[in-house]
Amino acid sequence: MKKAKKIISIALCGLAALPMIACNGIGLRQKYATQSLAALYEKFDGDLERGTAIKPIVLHVLENDTAKQSGYLKYLLDGFNEKYKDYYITAIDANQDQFSNLADDGPYGYGPDVLYQANDILMKYCAGKHITPLPIEKLDAYDELPELAKNTYTYKYESAEYFMGVGVNVQAPMMYYRKDLLPDDWQTTMDDNENGIPDIAEDMRALYRFGKARHNANKDEYGFMQSLFDPYFSCGYLFTYGAYVFGKNNTDTTDIGFDNGDAKKGAGVILQLAESMNSGCIDDGITVARESEFAKGSYFAVNNTQDMYGTMIDELTKVYNKNGMPIVAAREAAMENIVATPIPSLPASGDLSETEGELLPSIVMGGINGYAISSYTKYPKASLAFLNYATSFEMIVKRNEYLGIAPARKDCNEVCTVQADVAHSLYNMAENKRISIMPTVSGADQIWTPLQTAFTDIATDPYRTGEKQYYTADGKCDYNKLDSLLKSVNENIYNAIYSFGKK
Amino acid sequence: MNDTEIYHGKPPLGKRIGAYFAAIPKRFKNFWCSVGRKLKRIPQRIGDRGRYIKNAPKPVKASMGLMGLGQLMQKQIVKGILFLLIFAAYIVYMVLTGGKAMFNFFTLGVVPPNPWLGIKGDNSVVMMLLGTLAFIITGFFIAVHLANIRDAQRTFDFVARGNKTPNFKQSMASMFDKYFYITALVLPVVGVFVFNILPIIFMIFLAFTDYSGQVVLSGALVSWIGFDNFKQLFSVGLMGNTFFKILGWNLLWAIMSTALNYFGGLAIALLLNKKIVKGKKIWRAFPVLAFAVPGFITLLAFKFMFSNQGPINYYIEQLGGTGKLFFGIDSKWSARIIGWLVNAWLSIPSSMLLATGILANLNPDLYEAARIDGASPWTQFIKITLPFVIFATTPVLIGQFMGNFNNFGVFYFLRGGIICDGYFLASDTDLLINWLYSLSIDNKYYSLGAAISIIIFIIAAIISLAVYIKSPSYSKEDMYR
Amino acid sequence: MKISKADKIINKQIKKSRVGRKVTPKKCADYFFTYLALIVIAVIFAFPVLWLILASFSESGSMYTFKGFFPSSYSTETFKKLFTDIEMYNYPRWFGNTLIIAVASAVLGSLLVILTAYVMSRFRFGSRKGIMKTTMVLGMFPSFMAMTAVYLLMTQFNMVDNLWGLVLIYSAGAPMGYLTQKGFFDTISNSMYEAARIDGASNFKVFIRITLPIAMPMIVYTLITSFTWPWSDFILPKLLLKNKDLYTVAVGLMSLGDTEFARFAAGSVFIAVPIIILYFCLVKYMVNGLTAGAVKE
Repeated sequence: MKKAKKIISIALCGLAALPMIACNGIGLRQKYATQSLAALYEKFDGDLERGTAIKPIVLHVLENDTAKQSGYLKYLLDGFNEKYKDYYITAIDANQDQFSNLADDGPYGYGPDVLYQANDILMKYCAGKHITPLPIEKLDAYDELPELAKNTYTYKYESAEYFMGVGVNVQAPMMYYRKDLLPDDWQTTMDDNENGIPDIAEDMRALYRFGKARHNANKDEYGFMQSLFDPYFSCGYLFTYGAYVFGKNNTDTTDIGFDNGDAKKGAGVILQLAESMNSGCIDDGITVARESEFAKGSYFAVNNTQDMYGTMIDELTKVYNKNGMPIVAAREAAMENIVATPIPSLPASGDLSETEGELLPSIVMGGINGYAISSYTKYPKASLAFLNYATSFEMIVKRNEYLGIAPARKDCNEVCTVQADVAHSLYNMAENKRISIMPTVSGADQIWTPLQTAFTDIATDPYRTGEKQYYTADGKCDYNKLDSLLKSVNENIYNAIYSFGKK
Repeated sequence: MNDTEIYHGKPPLGKRIGAYFAAIPKRFKNFWCSVGRKLKRIPQRIGDRGRYIKNAPKPVKASMGLMGLGQLMQKQIVKGILFLLIFAAYIVYMVLTGGKAMFNFFTLGVVPPNPWLGIKGDNSVVMMLLGTLAFIITGFFIAVHLANIRDAQRTFDFVARGNKTPNFKQSMASMFDKYFYITALVLPVVGVFVFNILPIIFMIFLAFTDYSGQVVLSGALVSWIGFDNFKQLFSVGLMGNTFFKILGWNLLWAIMSTALNYFGGLAIALLLNKKIVKGKKIWRAFPVLAFAVPGFITLLAFKFMFSNQGPINYYIEQLGGTGKLFFGIDSKWSARIIGWLVNAWLSIPSSMLLATGILANLNPDLYEAARIDGASPWTQFIKITLPFVIFATTPVLIGQFMGNFNNFGVFYFLRGGIICDGYFLASDTDLLINWLYSLSIDNKYYSLGAAISIIIFIIAAIISLAVYIKSPSYSKEDMYR
Repeated sequence: MKISKADKIINKQIKKSRVGRKVTPKKCADYFFTYLALIVIAVIFAFPVLWLILASFSESGSMYTFKGFFPSSYSTETFKKLFTDIEMYNYPRWFGNTLIIAVASAVLGSLLVILTAYVMSRFRFGSRKGIMKTTMVLGMFPSFMAMTAVYLLMTQFNMVDNLWGLVLIYSAGAPMGYLTQKGFFDTISNSMYEAARIDGASNFKVFIRITLPIAMPMIVYTLITSFTWPWSDFILPKLLLKNKDLYTVAVGLMSLGDTEFARFAAGSVFIAVPIIILYFCLVKYMVNGLTAGAVKE
């Protein structure tokens, strides 16, 4: 018995010691800790991979839904397959969700080879090395990209810089309004600086007044409508007055700047805008109805991103057609009557009800969508060939024709035909720092919910049945309270990022 | 003797509750005494086992050494070979992948992956998973080995009593008769172990690693960090406050919604069971229609119905009022009440179906007898129907309580994306699971989420186990036999 | 056949006793309130579904163009589009996928769970109470944390992006819910089984011949609930199915844009169709209970 007890106790100790010894592979991990990245670009050297007739090389390409819907994707894939049919390389649609996460799919072999997504999504893959750095000298489109596109896709890692993706189009919210709903005499009554552009497109105060007048005349009609709770669209109002997301060019997450400068005036602008809308601005009520109400004429102006332009045209065409116009004429009229312009300038004083005063050009939050190559692709050279093909001059111009996007490439931007003015505007805004690119540093995900809550709170205030939170006794915006709201947003974001010891 | 000292039936509720609480110290002491007694007996039990091993008959000893040998020695050839094959399969598994998997479980990978260079590296979480799987397979193997030893012993005793050694056909027959429960339970047990228990064990282990945030995003190797996650949880100030507020609301929500759903379903089932109702199939079809449409779709439909520009506000405005903000940032109680009602709408149909199924088995003669004895319908309900249904469905009731406790969908769809003052990243209608979701999945803080899940689970398990063990479904299972 | 005098007297007596069963006010009230309650319940449950059906006939895609509960314009376009416009949203394919998964997991899962519940209810063996407590407790873990593990497990088994992976998970996990069915089996008295055992049947035969017929209501309940689950679950299929051609209806509908509400409603309405059909097929078995028994009381 005693001997058995001894044996058992020794065995148990040994079993307990095993985790200690093997725990975390102490010592073993240090052997593999350093990995030299010198051979990083080697996979792009050499001849293009060749397939055979029986076993062709298949590239999976992930594009977004509007590209597929409009037929552009088919055009792109057919052209590429035709060009490289001697190499037996076929590119096919990955047929996955446009927002699928390469970090989940790639390591297990289910991800695409080449993918087109928004810059914040693509740059988030960098931490896990899921997309591969690109050899700049082999990229055809690199020289034509503006500084903003180059900076957005640069990734700093261990004191070296890597270029991760090629920007295809600039995307930012713009204001779209119905030219045919302006009063007939707008050129005399609504164009103070007589430059052929109505005031409402240049000055938010004019738009605010116009909207209020419209609503007073007809209860079902409004001026400018937006779901104000949406942080992507509403952040711009804060940025115009000096707010920023993260310090040091969106890299330092300890420095959150939503209350910086006169940002509280931007919050006041949101409050005043909420007054002029209906309760749909508090949740996504306006966003969901946006295109159809815009077509019906209930909403005079909305803000929207370029990829929804096609839907807006379709809806308006339907409405015109129902009212008797033949389809082709209806479509032309629709394209004529929907005008795009950058978000109107905001008053420096922050009060939309004033009639004159200094104006600040509006800043919006935007992004640059682009192509990247997955690190898990088995055919890096073929993927690079596809990337070059998709970002070539002809293809980007065609993309603009099909989808109306604003190309990032300078040469394409100059000659594009669909929504050319929008493309030029966006390009200029990019150059003049009026687009604030969505941050991609780790922790950037945490800004959305606190912001959304704050904007919901502000937008709810005009509709509160009890005590109003952000108004002073005489009905003006209470800037102190708005300022403390913005400070609490900073705090919430900071807590969300740092409460769990994020490194 | 005083009349008031003779109790007919149970003493009044107040006195019972008082007695319950007064008995707590004594029960506490009894519990620890029984634990102590069990511990004291362990050396004796080890001694017993040792003696058994020493004195076991030869075939049994042989089986202890090599699985299947005992059967072969007792001339049960087919059985013996089967067991030997299982043993061989296990050895092959361990040599090929199992042993390595177990070792990797402790080291959690050595080579960090670097997709840029095409280095696949070691995937720490997969290693943890496969290691756990290897441990489970080893567990199964040990169980089979013990069954083998027991079988050898049983055959030995059987033969010793003068019977013939059972041949393979007879053994197989007994698997479908006396030991049918083993045959029937093999597949379900394996399935449940691999697809339910393995993920849970994995999740528990995850709480002791640093698989969060940066580690997840950068795909680096994961390390064991012991109790650090729990330490961090209990040290962040605002968290504790939020946790208790949400816990309180969560309990209230679960109790009220379970009661509402359960009794609602039962009421409708009873209503439909009445003799005077014609066309029962058609009436039953309406709740089934509601049940047939997937939950998230009706949740979205309800969200739209109560939204600021939705139909209900539209009618309110047509009638001259101002639109109400049902799910707004201030609407704590209106959102909560709508949540209860919507949840009832979603769950009552299945409650009703279950109650109908259970009631179908209730002997109608019981009601006849009660009616003859002069019992009113309400008394019949309380004394016959209710105990029967509760007896049959107490586990379901507990299950529904837990389901409602962890009901993610309702407030995620109806009122997501809002943070309220005084809460750490949560709103005042969020349940613990919604809070858990926004903390862990949105930020990829998986290991912290796992730690919080364990805490939630411990609380929930204590409550439910206490209720379940006291319930007649567990203690008086033979009540209706 | 002439009725004898005695019979005539007896018939008269019976008629007389029936006269006492007039329609009393109390009975009238009973009928009235019962049917009122039934109608109210039917309306409450059917209303959102009917509204969804109404919405699917709406011409405009967006749901905010409704006037109150009613669309501003109607058309049957949406239904046609649902089945023909499959370039982006391949609804027929999703429907087929989900049907396969639902049928397979209903059959397999129900088989496993009924077997488990029966065995746990009837037999007494060593670890039984322990298993009951453990399974009760294991069901309380928040499931989405276990999703990571399930996904990793499936990648190791190469069952990601595969419909049978889902069937496997649903069927294998079904026995965890055996406590519901066990509750039912506990209410069946032992006399049935004893009679069969006396006749010499093995436990397996008893299960097939006696238990299954009696347990019809429970089997129907189990079949309906396990058939319905894959139609509404979207977390697990979203995780495991990557290719859009393999999507189930739930995942597919969630991937529709906000402007496609009419299509969303139409798609949702169609999901209800197979479940209702199954219900109508099986409902007659639901209330047969004891009458299927084989024991003379």
